[in-house]
Amino acid sequence: MTWLQQVIDRGQQIDDWLSPLRLQAIETLQQAAWPTRRTESWKYTSLAALEQQQLRLAQPATPPAEPPQTAIPGLNSLDLLFVNGVLQTDISQLPLAAGLQLHTLRSASAIQRVITTSMYAQVKPQRHLFGLVNDVLANEVLFIDIAHDSHIEQPIRIISRVSEGQESHHRVLVRVGDRATVTIIEQTQSEHASFSTGFTEIELGEQAKLEHYRLVMHTRQAIYFGGCHICLHDKAELNSTMLGYGSELSRTDIDIMHNGQHARAKLNAIYLLGESEHFDLHSTIEHAKPHGSTEENVRGIVGDKANAVFNGRIHIHRGAQKTQAALQNRNLLLSRRGQINTKPELEIYADDVQCAHGATVAEIAEEALYYLRTRGICRSKALIMLNFGFIQELINQMPNPLLAQWLEPQLRARFKEMEVR
Amino acid sequence: MLTIKNLHASVEQKNILNGLNLSIKQGEVHAIMGPNGAGKSTLGYVLSGRDGYQVTDGEVDFQGNNLLELDVEQRARHGLFLAFQYPVEIPGVSNMELMKESVNAVRQHRAETPLTAAEFLKKAKAACQQVQLPLEFLKRGINEGFSGGEKKRNEIMQMILLEPSLCILDESDSGLDVDALQIVANGVNSQRDGKRSFIVITHYQRLLDFIEPDFVHILANGKIVKTGDAALAKQIEKEGYAFLGLDNSAEASA
Repeated sequence: MTWLQQVIDRGQQIDDWLSPLRLQAIETLQQAAWPTRRTESWKYTSLAALEQQQLRLAQPATPPAEPPQTAIPGLNSLDLLFVNGVLQTDISQLPLAAGLQLHTLRSASAIQRVITTSMYAQVKPQRHLFGLVNDVLANEVLFIDIAHDSHIEQPIRIISRVSEGQESHHRVLVRVGDRATVTIIEQTQSEHASFSTGFTEIELGEQAKLEHYRLVMHTRQAIYFGGCHICLHDKAELNSTMLGYGSELSRTDIDIMHNGQHARAKLNAIYLLGESEHFDLHSTIEHAKPHGSTEENVRGIVGDKANAVFNGRIHIHRGAQKTQAALQNRNLLLSRRGQINTKPELEIYADDVQCAHGATVAEIAEEALYYLRTRGICRSKALIMLNFGFIQELINQMPNPLLAQWLEPQLRARFKEMEVR
Repeated sequence: MLTIKNLHASVEQKNILNGLNLSIKQGEVHAIMGPNGAGKSTLGYVLSGRDGYQVTDGEVDFQGNNLLELDVEQRARHGLFLAFQYPVEIPGVSNMELMKESVNAVRQHRAETPLTAAEFLKKAKAACQQVQLPLEFLKRGINEGFSGGEKKRNEIMQMILLEPSLCILDESDSGLDVDALQIVANGVNSQRDGKRSFIVITHYQRLLDFIEPDFVHILANGKIVKTGDAALAKQIEKEGYAFLGLDNSAEASA
């Protein structure tokens, strides 16, 4: 039986109020071809590691074997913890700010079910194979609903951990009402041989503002497929920062759809890969309406035998006049054995737009290294300062300083372990 | 302080220094002048230990150490400082971060305790003031978006903070107007304490009006062809290098 057939078989046995939507995804999956190296969007990412794996479903009864998640110092976030796809946090006990509502697959009221079904798999495009897998297998759905005009001060942090040998499939849906503001931090991690999918769909209402972080911190043997799909309405503002570590197999798809006029999107992404880690980021920004702006900055450092894949697409539809869009991907290769495959793509069907894109791969800047050494700084320390400086710029741009302060030493430590050759 | 004997060096198999001799004592200021392509900048790079600059013969003693055997950073920690002609821009690493690391690396080498943040800041402020560099330049990426003059002043600011025993100034005057030149020169002069030595590499005599040298050397074709005092620099200003039988218009840079 093929891997996909196992997913379909299992999905057909799930019986809950999302079943009609799961069946729709199954229908699409039945027509879908399994990606190979000849499939354009999977050209540089092999699924061999996944094919060798047997699917196992997380047992909801299993108590979490994971250590409790440490808080981010000073942040005072509203933490929602998933372990192996099962929500551990009792949302009925959480003190929620006015204008903020949470519900799940299990707790949803009749009306919340209607809201959920109207959004499930609607923002996320159908082309993402593992998004469909998540449609079928998601064993928990967390719905975050922010009412119009609500300013949610406390950052909402969603943590997903996956234990050794486990599977995890969770889904997050976020609806940010008109003129509402909120900060959402998504953090997903596993250090073990595991398989997880995590997809998030976000609707950002008119003039709404979202500060968003997506930290994909899977390492070692973990296999992960994730996606974040965001729809912007008139004058919505998105400021998103993504971080990626690499693992056995890690793939993230980001879609940002400008579905309203004068919307603004800023997306910064950082990846930091060592050993023989693999990390694949595909981003697609679509401007369907005029006067939108997108600023996307993606920077990666690749050491040892690691492998980075970046595909950044900007698509400007006919009629999306006065769009301003810029995409930059810069890479630093620390090792001759590392690999970076990068492809920025622009597709423009409007004639009055400003667009720029570019991708570079650089090796260590010898001149800068020499300069620092003439100031008494040893080579290894200078390398850390220089290369870290490269991504420090993006860390400094994170709007939340507490999060930046928490993340920086972790990235520094990770960088120090990366092999330079 | 520094004794260079019969120094030969090449870059990409091309001989640039051809038997250079120079001896510098504590507290002395030596100006090195010469036409383009004479090897002036190469001398600074060789002394600082830049990769790609091959020493093929000769020896260099720096305060009793065989300089040529030391790594770039070791030379700096022993008290050698090179102020660059074209300081590199390094966005992402702040001036402050660089100087903290740098000052403490040097202090550690001298078996001194690292500076506290407050002590460092006090010294950094004073150094910035000396070269009239606004304090916020400490927070900016190294030389990032600095004007030519600001870069040169930043080099001198670093020199003041690091308290080296030998300073090599590689055309610290190039591209500066008279006011900026005065600021750079004042910064340098503030560090002349009778113990610290200087090699002032310059193409023009102008800088030497502000920084008075004890010796002026003419470097041509990779060696010192003439040595004199400040009057020699004035003569060159007036007559060019031609009176030494040298071609003024020699192209290529070194």
